[in-house]
Amino acid sequence: MDAIRTEGLTKKYNLGWRKGRFLALERLNLHVREGEVYGLLGPNGSGKSTTLKCILDLVSPTDGAAWIFDVPSTKVESRLHVGFLPENPYFYKYLTGAETLEFYGQLCGIRGAALKKRIDELIDLVGLTTARDRRLSGYSKGMLQRIGLAQALIHDPQLLMLDEPTAGVDPIGSRDIRDLILRLKKMGKTVLLSSHLLAQVQDVCDRIGVLNLGQLILEGDVNQLISDQRRLSFTLEGLPAVARGQIEDAARAAGATVVNVEHPQTTLETLFLDAVRKDERGAGHHD
Amino acid sequence: MVRARLYAALLIAVPAWALLPLQHQIESERRQLQYGGSPVTREIRDQIGQGLAIALLAGFRGVAADFIWIRGHDFWEKRQWFKQAECIENTAKLQPRSTFFWDSGAWHMAWNIAYAERIGTNDSTVAQALTRERYWHQRGRAFLERGVQNIPNRFDLYFKLGWLHEQKLRRDCGGYPACEKAEYAKAAELFDKASEYPNAPVYIARDVARCLEKSGDLRAAYDYWCNKIWRADRRIRNNLDRAIVEREIRRLEDRLDIPTSSRLFPKVTAK
Amino acid sequence: MTERVGFSLARVWTIAGNTFTESVRQKVFNILLIFALVIIASASFFAEFSLGEDVAAVASYELKSIKDTCFGALSVIGMLIAIVGTAMLLPNELENRTIYTILSKPVRRFEFLLGKYFGTVLLTFVSVLLMSLMFLAVLAFKEVRLSKSAKAEVTAAGSDTEKQKAQELVVKIHDEAYDPDIVKGILLIFVKLCLLAAITLFVSTFSTSMVFNVAVALLVFFAGHLVGIAKEAWQAHTIVTYLLGVIPDLGMFNVADDIILGNVIPWPHVGKVAAYGVVYLSCVVGAAHLIFASREI
Repeated sequence: MDAIRTEGLTKKYNLGWRKGRFLALERLNLHVREGEVYGLLGPNGSGKSTTLKCILDLVSPTDGAAWIFDVPSTKVESRLHVGFLPENPYFYKYLTGAETLEFYGQLCGIRGAALKKRIDELIDLVGLTTARDRRLSGYSKGMLQRIGLAQALIHDPQLLMLDEPTAGVDPIGSRDIRDLILRLKKMGKTVLLSSHLLAQVQDVCDRIGVLNLGQLILEGDVNQLISDQRRLSFTLEGLPAVARGQIEDAARAAGATVVNVEHPQTTLETLFLDAVRKDERGAGHHD
Repeated sequence: MVRARLYAALLIAVPAWALLPLQHQIESERRQLQYGGSPVTREIRDQIGQGLAIALLAGFRGVAADFIWIRGHDFWEKRQWFKQAECIENTAKLQPRSTFFWDSGAWHMAWNIAYAERIGTNDSTVAQALTRERYWHQRGRAFLERGVQNIPNRFDLYFKLGWLHEQKLRRDCGGYPACEKAEYAKAAELFDKASEYPNAPVYIARDVARCLEKSGDLRAAYDYWCNKIWRADRRIRNNLDRAIVEREIRRLEDRLDIPTSSRLFPKVTAK
Repeated sequence: MTERVGFSLARVWTIAGNTFTESVRQKVFNILLIFALVIIASASFFAEFSLGEDVAAVASYELKSIKDTCFGALSVIGMLIAIVGTAMLLPNELENRTIYTILSKPVRRFEFLLGKYFGTVLLTFVSVLLMSLMFLAVLAFKEVRLSKSAKAEVTAAGSDTEKQKAQELVVKIHDEAYDPDIVKGILLIFVKLCLLAAITLFVSTFSTSMVFNVAVALLVFFAGHLVGIAKEAWQAHTIVTYLLGVIPDLGMFNVADDIILGNVIPWPHVGKVAAYGVVYLSCVVGAAHLIFASREI
């Protein structure tokens, strides 16, 4: 059973009187397997959000259909086991973090002591312990994203749908979210996330699909898609300068072409994260 | 979407049409109970100004009328009697079911304005001042008579009109007895009408008897005290009532010299 | 995974409660409400300007004026709270995308819409209740002052009849100040406000702008008060009757003026008007659902 399945999902938007229709999604067949992290990639306006909205029945497809755990999207029951985090969520700014989670928990039918316990767990999980009784109007973007994740998780759903979960979040926050996604995966959850930040998707996703102009133009296992089977790279430490020529010669002798020899660079992200973590003053001062 | 809008329009229109009979029934009940007052005519709209007219159309008739009443009060302070009278007329047009506007409006005309005209220190002669005073007495009477027509189901304005005849119009007789008696008789007639209403205060019936006596018909006054007041239970509610009525009946029995046998209260003779 | 999710009143109340909390924590409503309470509280001073020393005339004018002002404030501020409170609901939900997080939970669209509606109805109810309590407090305050001067007349009375007149006045002041019919007037104002909220909700299901919602609702408010007059003028035309019949006749809900004037408003009449309002607003909420159910979010 697929966690998400769409068949021939097509969405056309009316642009208004005599302006014709805009084709946002064209015959999309998507299969997200249970337990995997699936990344839906694509440039802005490629139909990522429309896909998510169709799956959640927020917009009705012009043609085709979608299923969540084999329950048609058009049924309320399909949303029993799914948590959704929209792009740039705002929430009710006059509620505190804990009140927000209480509200969403009650919507899912959780009440009383069970709800209280769940709220404590989630606040802890997303690291908002110090901000739980502050109103959301005083939250930063990263904090909003985290409370958004918490509300999506409130009813312990099997499937999570995250629309641009790291957009506008600083590198630390974005790393935290990635770590969280990996933890959820370990817990056996299925995650569908959309993003245009490819580096991050690469870190967490098992499979990806690339949408462009409403069509799925590429799909597959991340590692298979990006590894170059024809090429091989070594990373060596403590190599004497003279030995370098010998290795290159040996390679040429074996019939290979030396394409590139360089000192490996750390990523700017790693550099940034290390620098910030080493700064003692920053401890406990998230966001 | 188009279909949804069509169904939505039908869901509002069809029940609204189905509700029309109920609406008619409510409207006819309102008419029957005389709710809402007279319709807002163009004439009223022009007189009260655009701002108040809007308030009126939005359903704030009472507030608009109160506002005009206060405006009238300003004219009173500026001694512009006719403008004040016009404001009073407008309040009554807006809320013809308000006893307050008829009552207090007539009171302003026949008491306050009339008195101010009489003692007004203009360069007019006494005769001119009296003529103007009488004009305002008559205008107050005409106003109250319209009030009575508009609110026939309450005692209040009958009582006030009787009071006007007794207090003001009688004085305009200039001491001419037949005229004065006629005014007392008119007042008695109006008090009698007022006293017939179940919620009318008990003293109004006594005013009837009092005016009958002053109109010269002692016998009628006596009969009224005995039959309409003493024997009507609802007009004697407490010891004070009983004491007043007994005292008045004894007084009339003495004046009419009614034989002891047919007296309601036989003479108390010293033993 | 195949359990059924039925219509749930609990979810409706959760959403209604959230809508109410959200509205209460916004300053707009508190300011409107405080404004109304100030108007109502000052109605008693507004009414105080001398009409001479006739206590009876002063009493009936002041009580009438207080009631007119208080009912007016209740009606106008209540209307603003009901219309503005409802008009911003859906646009805010869409703009902040909170609607996505709610509708992606096992929540029916009808539950969501009904919850939003009940939220403003609750807000309107609490506002009307607070204003009414202030109204009653002002009347009670006035009653004490007026009956004090009426009682002074009782002691000062020269003749027996004068004494009785003054006593009657004390009773009359009490009866007019504590007229139980005031409740009927407030009840019908509340039903009218609920109807206006329903109409605003309906408008907002097919628009995206709060300003548009408020404008249309205000238009309906004025049309609703004029429709009675229009109907009288066009009585003979059946087509016109049907066309105008779609607009709710809001004039019917206005019995406050008559209550103030002491006219008898029988309960059956109040019941009929309230029934008309409730049936009409139910249909409007139903129509709002029809449009909202098929709306792209």
